[in-house]
Amino acid sequence: MKKNILFKLIAIASLTAVFATGCASGKAGQADGGEKVVNVYSARHYDVDQQLYEKFTKETGIRVNVIEGNAQELIERIKREGESTPADLFITVDGGILSSAKTAGILQPVESKTIDSQVPSHLRDKDNHWIGLSTRARVIVYAKDRVDPSQLSTYEDLASDKWKGKLLVRSSTHLYNQSLVASLIALNGEELTREWAKGIAANLARDPEGGDRDQAKAVVAGIGDIAIMNSYYVGHLSASENPEEVKVAESIGVFFPNQETTGTHVNISGAGLIKHSRNKANAIKLIEFLTNEQSQAAFSAANFEFPVNPKAELPELLKSWGEFKAQQIDFAVLGEHNAKAVEIMNEAGWK
Amino acid sequence: MPMPDRFRVSEFARQHKVWTSISLLSAACVVLPILSVFWNGLRPANENWAHIRRHMLWDHVPPTIRLVVFACAASAMLGAALAWLVAAYDFPLRRLFRWALALPLAVPPYIAAYTYGNMLSYTGIVQQTLRGMGVRANPAWFDIMSEPGAVFIFTMFLYPYVFLITRAYLEKSGGSYVENARLLGRSGLPLFFRVVLPISRPALAGGAALVAYETLSDYGVVNYYGIQTLTIAIFKTWFGMYDIESATRLGALFLAGILAVVVLERLLRRRRRYSETTGRGAPLKPVRLRGAKAALATAACLAALAVAFLIPVAQLAQWAGWTFESVTLRADFGKLAVNTLKASLLATALILAVSVIVANTVRMARSGLHAAIAKLLTAGYAIPGPIIAIGVLSLFIALDRLLAPLYAGMGRGAAPLVLSLSLAMLIAGYVVRFMATGYNAVESGFERIGMKYAEASRTLGAGPTRTFFAVDLPMIRGPLLGGAALTFVEIAKELPLTMLLRPFNFDTLATKAYQYAGDERIYQAAAPSLMIIGIGLASVFILHHMAGSGQK
Repeated sequence: MKKNILFKLIAIASLTAVFATGCASGKAGQADGGEKVVNVYSARHYDVDQQLYEKFTKETGIRVNVIEGNAQELIERIKREGESTPADLFITVDGGILSSAKTAGILQPVESKTIDSQVPSHLRDKDNHWIGLSTRARVIVYAKDRVDPSQLSTYEDLASDKWKGKLLVRSSTHLYNQSLVASLIALNGEELTREWAKGIAANLARDPEGGDRDQAKAVVAGIGDIAIMNSYYVGHLSASENPEEVKVAESIGVFFPNQETTGTHVNISGAGLIKHSRNKANAIKLIEFLTNEQSQAAFSAANFEFPVNPKAELPELLKSWGEFKAQQIDFAVLGEHNAKAVEIMNEAGWK
Repeated sequence: MPMPDRFRVSEFARQHKVWTSISLLSAACVVLPILSVFWNGLRPANENWAHIRRHMLWDHVPPTIRLVVFACAASAMLGAALAWLVAAYDFPLRRLFRWALALPLAVPPYIAAYTYGNMLSYTGIVQQTLRGMGVRANPAWFDIMSEPGAVFIFTMFLYPYVFLITRAYLEKSGGSYVENARLLGRSGLPLFFRVVLPISRPALAGGAALVAYETLSDYGVVNYYGIQTLTIAIFKTWFGMYDIESATRLGALFLAGILAVVVLERLLRRRRRYSETTGRGAPLKPVRLRGAKAALATAACLAALAVAFLIPVAQLAQWAGWTFESVTLRADFGKLAVNTLKASLLATALILAVSVIVANTVRMARSGLHAAIAKLLTAGYAIPGPIIAIGVLSLFIALDRLLAPLYAGMGRGAAPLVLSLSLAMLIAGYVVRFMATGYNAVESGFERIGMKYAEASRTLGAGPTRTFFAVDLPMIRGPLLGGAALTFVEIAKELPLTMLLRPFNFDTLATKAYQYAGDERIYQAAAPSLMIIGIGLASVFILHHMAGSGQK
């Protein structure tokens, strides 16, 4: 009988322990007692973000609490938390997702003269529901020893027969490819994009595998001649701890496609202000801070992304690429066409 | 003398409502989020469904099946062969291999996938060395990022499930069969294929089922290697088509398919249970190998250990050396480790408590309903993490709404979310997801001791609770510890649930590793990955010693 009581005691004790740790850690992220905080749900996982949050806390005394996660999952979490959500800011990569957050009705307009002056209007939502933080371009890289860049022109051209068996790109599961295709749907229409995607799938040097960096390596290894990849991975390769990767970065050329036509595809990461934010003023202060000249230069230096603040200084590598013409489409359009883009790639057999 | 079932059930139910109600209650908590997945899957299909069915469902089923079948078959063969070697023979370093061959379990498969992918890539050490020696090798030969490559990764890093269970089984009860077969003149490979494999079928099936679940719910490896599995289809639907409804529907279908296979396996196993109860389990005495045979056995174990543990860990160590300064400057590894340990230990303790209570109730009640609940209890393992996570999240938010008056009374009116912002939600998520590893271990422990000891104790006048603590629990100590270690290691390397269900500012080693690996920065991911592996290594080591001291 004694054991029976003991057993119950253990059960009760363990339940209380769980509940107590629950309550204790539940305190984080809540603005009780007038403590200055801002709560961020972020799908960007870069060290530089964390460093900038820490700097922000030092300068303003506002503590930044973060939950990092997958963008769509975080949107779902915010939706389900509804009016009780502790989130003040939603930060993510990809204009399509930012606009899907807006469509989901979880954001509200940001009102700040500082932000309006720091971020050009085409890098913000048209109702200011989200503000751009940085951009990255989806470029073509080529083997310097085998490909004459004058052969390269547009994304559209990549589907032509001359690149048969020479093109490399990662799988269609990845957002970067989905938003590229979404932008082409917006510019060229669904039918042409469908044909284009089939051409891309037919030209691939191998079934899609690996990440963006792996495409660059495959170009240098001779598996293919050209690859579609994001600009900042070229930066990461050139700054790699592995000298072999630095050599890869040196052996490839970076080409910005569609300069004569619609411009290079650019995607954006940004911060949206949550509709039911309890620390709205602090949240806006954080966006102001993240888009100021110094923070923007820090984003760019650490991660080789393009700053949204035109005054921010660029790292040498990005300077060396020079000015380029970017696609002039509303990022909201990327969100609208993303599902269609997935469909088109599935149908084209782009794995 | 077995009592008639009906009598036992009524007697059990009358006397021991406490056991039944505790187990039903805890089972309900675990099953609820899983049922919510089914429930959501039953909603009418939306406009995307036709496309998904045509272009994702059917395209993604064959690769999924191929991957699971080959990974399971290869892990079963490798795991059984290694278990047989260390259980049946004595050779140099055998005592080390007995536990060291379980170590690959500590390596998260996606980290292994990135590590091997990079080692074999154009800039990796293999091709770089060959180039340095002037050998011109076709880079395509080293391409591991393919379906066979994924099978290789899953096999090498999941075979320990089979190895551990089979080894324990052979050592404890394989003796009489093997001895008889040896007397009848069988040895070597025929003995292995004709006797050892057939008698270890339950152990093999148990281990292979865990391998299958892990493979099915994996996202990291298949995403990086570009394999179009059903999990990928679910994520494409959710993250690419922004359609969580269809994604959940896919998840429900997926789960239904898996449950069907599980039920089938159960039915097949039921027939076989006879042979187990009549079998006289006797410990297996290892035969001493000498000369070339001994060297060969050592070499085989060493080769497996090298490929599945030593080589990738050495490579990670080199990368961690490259990036150690830049990563450690930014990460508080002490705190990451404490967070990882805290969450994993709490969840493991809960899982084992629930497992023991439910498994004990099930085996005493022996009703179909109880068994069905037990099966549902472990279904969380087969569902992709994010789908479970959403189920748990909804449940906790609903719970917070329900408790809002209580919070207001406690003066927390301004912040109505308490539980869903706490570690409790993450722990609950782990419990739902990883019941299987704990429960299966406990169940197999109970199966092995059978009812005779408990019945003897009851005949001598002890109640079921006293019997449980005085007789049953000590007897399943080994499997319990084994289950604890498996579950603990699983949770320490878990990713998708941790990402979505964690409270503010709660980073673990796994989330830190992913922060880098997800951005293709495997060198930076090396240090936190090594720490995860270190924690796994420590737990396997501690387990080995605790289990060892228990035997003496």
